[in-house]
Amino acid sequence: MMQEVLRLQNLQKSFGSVRALKNASLTLSEGEVVALLGDNGAGKSTLIKAISGVFPIDRGDVYVRGEKVSIRSTREAMDLGIETIHQDTSLAPDLSIARNLFLGREPVNLKWLGVFAPLDLAKLRDAASTLLKRVGISKKLDADALVSTLSGGERQSIAISRAMQFAAKVIILDEPTNNLGVEETHGVLRFVKEMREAGHSVLLITHNIHHVFEVADRIVVMRRGEIVAEQTVADTDLLTVESLITGADMSALMKRAQ
Amino acid sequence: MRSPQFSSFVILVVLLAVFAVADGNFLSPLNISNMMAFLPELGIIALGMTLLLTAGEFDLSVGAVFALAPVVVMLLAQNAGVDIGVALLVGLLLCIAIGAINGVIVTKIGISSFLVTLSMLLIVRGAALYITQGFPLKSWDQPGFFVTLLAGSVNIGSFRFYTSLWWFIALSLLAVYVLRYAKLGNWISAIGSNRNAAVARGVPADAVKIWLFIATSVLAGLAGMISAFRISAASPVAGTGYELEVIAMVVVGGTALTGGRGTILGTIVGALMLRTIRNGIVLVGVPGLAYNIFVGVIILAMLILHALLQKNAARS
Ligand SMILES: Nc1ncnc2c1ncn2[C@@H]1O[C@H](COP(=O)(O)OP(=O)(O)OP(=O)(O)O)[C@@H](O)[C@H]1O
Ligand SMILES: [Mg+2]
Repeated sequence: MMQEVLRLQNLQKSFGSVRALKNASLTLSEGEVVALLGDNGAGKSTLIKAISGVFPIDRGDVYVRGEKVSIRSTREAMDLGIETIHQDTSLAPDLSIARNLFLGREPVNLKWLGVFAPLDLAKLRDAASTLLKRVGISKKLDADALVSTLSGGERQSIAISRAMQFAAKVIILDEPTNNLGVEETHGVLRFVKEMREAGHSVLLITHNIHHVFEVADRIVVMRRGEIVAEQTVADTDLLTVESLITGADMSALMKRAQ
Repeated sequence: MRSPQFSSFVILVVLLAVFAVADGNFLSPLNISNMMAFLPELGIIALGMTLLLTAGEFDLSVGAVFALAPVVVMLLAQNAGVDIGVALLVGLLLCIAIGAINGVIVTKIGISSFLVTLSMLLIVRGAALYITQGFPLKSWDQPGFFVTLLAGSVNIGSFRFYTSLWWFIALSLLAVYVLRYAKLGNWISAIGSNRNAAVARGVPADAVKIWLFIATSVLAGLAGMISAFRISAASPVAGTGYELEVIAMVVVGGTALTGGRGTILGTIVGALMLRTIRNGIVLVGVPGLAYNIFVGVIILAMLILHALLQKNAARS
């Protein structure tokens, strides 16, 4: 049995009268890729925002490597080794690639100056170009280029390489292949596999079921804030997963399949 | 070099040349000394405003704080007989409080800085008028350490330089350092560019904004004190309209009103430019009541130029 890295127990979260999460539980093991599926508004983003410290949960427990933690800020999530690439936004377009890669974790000289400490620009630039090479972005990108000059796919690659560089235990990707071209999509999927091989755990949110079958070990399906099904990829098929997501009548489908 | 601060700089040089040719007195020591005496008072506020705008917020209450801080200090020192050092400390705390209130309401309650600082403008200006009953305070004629520190002057040849210019230079260097080279500057730009992204990376966006509101208020109060000491008087209506003039300086210099892109060098150029325009059009004989037409037209022209340059850059 692989070691458990992250366990969520009965998470609940409401926005006013909207119950976005009702008793969601989930575990993630070392070197495992779990796909989180569900229709629009099912609560997937809400679940991962709760884990990554974007907002507090109303009720429920989070365990990291068996230890109970309370994640009250994005900084705390990062310090626990949870790196998230959000669906809506990850980068600051007016900053250079290098500055984005190290945003919030800037290498500095004269550390005692606190927020007034000068950035170690040489180190920033070096680390950035090494990293860009490692992710294998096809086009040569200048570490000093502004993110606003990049394509959507390039931006996604930058966000992913940032998560890579801090070698987090858990990497959460919220619809990372949205708006990506064929080549970039393969880049992202390759990245997910690499992460698994390196022993990291990945929680992948996607609407593309083909991708799920390509990279995931396990599937977790959400509907209206609840986790309604959990299956290993080896034990299921596309049709079943689709019906789980939409909530269509399983037995009717089964009968038709026979 | 198609950066906005560079194009602003070119236009500044052109303006200086035009005014120098149009009027022989423009480059006279007396006129330059005069310009350099006025420049820091708005320029210092513009430095704070640049950082604030870069973080995606602005402050309309600076002109009112410019008046209230010296009015309070002078009232305490003259009417209540409080030591001037203590009075200045009270003035400083007052500015910190005003900035903190602006910042906390904007970030924690989530009301736009336009509305919050507009209300604060009314409150602060109203307070200045009320406690003085609308009259300027009697002049402050006791030179001393603080007066020299804020509004002293030295004559170099036929030029006269006020200490305020050194304040402006020192604060400018500090602001350039913070915005371009310090970790804090990275945070400020990131917050203005994409607040959620910054927060997701653990940047304390609210705290940074609150401190920037405080810094801007304190700089406005400092500028007000410098002005009051220089003319030896504090008026409750001083600094009326400064908030817009300062924002104009900042955006003319190339800082984006929408946040994310700020330039201190641009702001210095912008401050020099507006100062030059105000001074130059008087000398070349534009009728007094028509000043603002010119100032407005030039600001608009600058902004159009920046927008065109940016469009060009985006296309190439
Ligand atoms: N900040 C918020 N304030 C109010 N309601 C919210 C907020 N965030 C999410 N919700 C609501 O919570 C529910 C779940 O939203 P969530 O973003 O988690 O869905 P999702 O599964 O990620 O959907 P999608 O596939 O479209 O990204 C939705 O009904 C949504 O409207
Ligand atoms: Mg979502």
